[in-house]
Amino acid sequence: MTGPHRETKLNEYVDGTLAAHDRASVEAHLADCAACRAAVAELRSLSAAAASLPKSIEPGRDLWAGVETRIAQRATWNVQRLQWRAALAAAAAVVIALGLYRLLPPSTAPYRPAGQGWAAVQADFDRTTSELGLVFAAERERLRPETVLLLERNLAIIDAAMAESRAAMARDPASVELRGLFAAAARQKVELLRWVVRVAAS
Amino acid sequence: MHSDPTDLIHRAQQGDRTAFEALYRAHAGRVYALCLRLTADRALAEERTQDAFVRAWERLATFRGESAFSSWLHRLTVNEVLLGRRAERRREQRVVTSDDPAALERPGGADASSGSALDLERAVAALPAGAREVFVLHDVEGYRHEEIAELTGIAVGTSKAQLFRARRLLREALNR
Repeated sequence: MTGPHRETKLNEYVDGTLAAHDRASVEAHLADCAACRAAVAELRSLSAAAASLPKSIEPGRDLWAGVETRIAQRATWNVQRLQWRAALAAAAAVVIALGLYRLLPPSTAPYRPAGQGWAAVQADFDRTTSELGLVFAAERERLRPETVLLLERNLAIIDAAMAESRAAMARDPASVELRGLFAAAARQKVELLRWVVRVAAS
Repeated sequence: MHSDPTDLIHRAQQGDRTAFEALYRAHAGRVYALCLRLTADRALAEERTQDAFVRAWERLATFRGESAFSSWLHRLTVNEVLLGRRAERRREQRVVTSDDPAALERPGGADASSGSALDLERAVAALPAGAREVFVLHDVEGYRHEEIAELTGIAVGTSKAQLFRARRLLREALNR
């Protein structure tokens, strides 16, 4: 036996996973090969040493406090989710449908109802985000302060991007690129608000 | 104070955090040892130990008692460690160099070059991650290759190959 084949056979032999005829073949070889006998002895010794390593090692510090903090946080979130669920379930169905319908990716544009151009899209977006914003304002007291802070920060960034796009569109109303930028930011805003509603209703 | 484990589990499933803390106290050493050997990194092992217990708390309702609680917790811990490792790989923030197959075969730091002073624990910690995981699960923890394959998502043949490679590297390291 040589090379990788030898290594595999000897390991399988030590692990007791060889078929009977292979096992007999290895045993015959071992009778004549001191090197393989030594290798088998080492493998057995190594496996025995590994199996007898201590199964328990105490951490260098108490980790319970960190675990407890995290499961307490999750319990709070669960309560908040339950509180939100009833209030937002109905709103989610209506508002998300309204908001996303107009702001789907450009590939869906041909399916918009005839006669409803860019102005209608913007108006729809404004109405949708306004409704979502009202839900958010009504329920924000029930959210964790850090969550509200993060949401507000992200909404402010998106609002600033949309304000810039609106201002630019006022100067160049026909620009397809500017509409694209506005639509991208608008989708982000609806997605963010939709995420809040989804998390609360889940 | 000795409490009935079944009672502790039942109470914890009802949301009793004191009961869950008792379960933590009973199993933390076992879970930490597993995390430490799988990660070869104390800080990461502490983090994964906490992850495992948080996940256990979340999933306690799914524990039906078909297996021992310790076995259930063990498998959950292995999953947490392996999931964490995949996430780290994705973030490309991993600094441990032991994924390099040649790591143990070339001259290393003071520990690796100290010949007979190299004990089994340190040699295991210095193994490439894939070989280390399979060695720990098979030879230290007693999992079968089929179970390892299921847990890690590798083929049974790959599990065997990693184990044999780990043993070869360990024998070489311990014989230096």
